[in-house]
Amino acid sequence: MSKVNIFTRGLIKDNAVFVLMIGLCPALATSSTVRDGFGMGIAATFVVVFSNLIVSLLRKNIPNEVRIPIFILIISTFVTIIDYMMQAFQPDLYRALGVFVPLIVVNCMILGRAEAFASKSPVIDSVLDGLGTGLGFTLALTIMGSLREILGNGTFLGMTVFGEAFKSAPVIFMIMSPGAFLVIGILKALINKYVKKESL
Amino acid sequence: MTGIRQMIITLFVVAVTCAVILSFVYAFTEPRIAETQAQLTLSGLEEVIAAYEYREIITDTLWQAVDSSGDNIGIVFRVFPQGYAGPIPITVGLDNDGKITGIRVASAAEGLAETPGLGAKITQLGFTEQFKGKTAADIALEQEGGSIEAITAATISSRAVTAGVKKGIEIYGACVVPSCDPGVVFSDADEFVEVIRDTLWKAVSGSDTLGIIFVGVVQGYLDDIKFMVGYNKQKIITGITILYSQETDGIGEVIRNEEFLEKFKTGVPEAISGATVSSKALINGVFNGIGKFKEYIE
Repeated sequence: MSKVNIFTRGLIKDNAVFVLMIGLCPALATSSTVRDGFGMGIAATFVVVFSNLIVSLLRKNIPNEVRIPIFILIISTFVTIIDYMMQAFQPDLYRALGVFVPLIVVNCMILGRAEAFASKSPVIDSVLDGLGTGLGFTLALTIMGSLREILGNGTFLGMTVFGEAFKSAPVIFMIMSPGAFLVIGILKALINKYVKKESL
Repeated sequence: MTGIRQMIITLFVVAVTCAVILSFVYAFTEPRIAETQAQLTLSGLEEVIAAYEYREIITDTLWQAVDSSGDNIGIVFRVFPQGYAGPIPITVGLDNDGKITGIRVASAAEGLAETPGLGAKITQLGFTEQFKGKTAADIALEQEGGSIEAITAATISSRAVTAGVKKGIEIYGACVVPSCDPGVVFSDADEFVEVIRDTLWKAVSGSDTLGIIFVGVVQGYLDDIKFMVGYNKQKIITGITILYSQETDGIGEVIRNEEFLEKFKTGVPEAISGATVSSKALINGVFNGIGKFKEYIE
C-alpha cells in the first residue's frame, strides 16, 4: 500500500463513522454543533495519532499476551493528557463535551487501529494511518455538526445563517438526540446509494 | 518462565512511564485549570452586579459585593432550582435595598439542561432583563400575580427561575425582613456591629464585646432552614430564631416552637421525635456556626 493509500483509507474509504460504523456513540452525542463535533474529532485524532506512534515504536517489545492492556494504558495516557489540556485551555469546549472526553479511551476506533495496524506496521505508516483515521472521524463529526447546527439552531459556528426569522424558529429536534440519528441515517443512505462499494 | 517475566516487566515499565508523563502534564496544567475555574466563577458575578471585589461568604454560593472604597454594595448568590430537564444554575445580584441588579442563567455549555429553543430561552436577555430593579414581592409569573412574563411554551422553566430567584432572596437576601434584627436574639447589647453583612454581628455594650450574632443556613427535610443565633462570651446561647423554613406543616415546622428553641439556652437539645431530620439539621447548624464564628468574640 502506498503512503497516500494508507492515509486516505481511514479518511474516506474506511471512514470510521460513515463506512465502518464504529465510534458512533461520541459521533451521535457530540455532533450537535460544529464546534463540539470538530473539537471531539481533533481530540480523538490527537489520541489515535500518538497511540499509533507509540504502539508502533514498541511493537517489537510488547509481549503478545499483554498487548491489549498495554495499548489501553498508552491510549488512556494520551486521553488524560488531552483531558487536562482541554480543561486548561478550552474550558467551554471541555464542558460541552463532558464525559465524552474521558470516554475516548474506549473508542473502539482507536484500539482497533492500534491492534489491526500499528502493532504490525512501521512508524511512519502508523502515524499516517492514525492521521487518516482521526481526520476521517473529524470530517464525519464536522459534517454532522454543521447540518445539525444549521438546521437545528439556525447558526454555523455561532454565526446566524438564513436570517433571524429562521433562527427564532429552527428545526429544534435536529440538535437533540433524534436529529443525530436522522442525520447519520440519511448520510449513510446517500453514501450507500452514490458510493460504489468495493468488494471487501 | 521468561515469557511471564517479560510480560510483567513490560507492563510495569509502560505503566510507570505513563504515570511519570501524566504527573508532568498535571503539574503543567494544574495551575492553569485552577485559574480558568476561578475566572469562570467570577465572570458570572460581574454580569449581575458590578463591584470592585467579591468576597466569598459561602463557597460557590454567596458573595458580598464590595466597591473600591470597601463599602458593601450588595450580594450575589447562586441557586439551582429544578427546571424541566434538570437544575437551572442562576446567578442573582441584589443591592442593599433588596432590589435585583441582574440575573444570569447559565448557558447550555455551562450545564443548563433545558430544551434547546424552548426552555433554554430563559437564558435570553428578553427574559432575564425583566428581573432588574424588582424586589422579591414582584418575582412571580404574570399568571400567578407577579410581573414576570413567562416564555411561551416554556412555563415550567420560567416558573422554576422565578421560584428559584424568590427563594434565593428569602434565604440569602438582605436582612431587609424585620425579623432579621439581631436584637431579637441578643437583648443585653446596646449596639450591633456588622462584621459580615447579613451574616455576622458583634454585640457591643460601651467598649465591651459581649458576644456574637450569626445567621446560618442548613438543609432541612424539605427545604433550607435559615436561622439566627446569639452567643455570648460566657459560652451561652442567648437566643435563637428561625428566619426561613418550609418544613412539613405540623411536623418539621415544630422547630419553630419557642419551647424547643429555649432548650438551646441550656445546652444541646435532643432531636424532636417525628421531626428528627429538621431538628437535627438545625442543631448541627447552630453548633457548627458557633464553632465557625466564636473566634470573633475576642
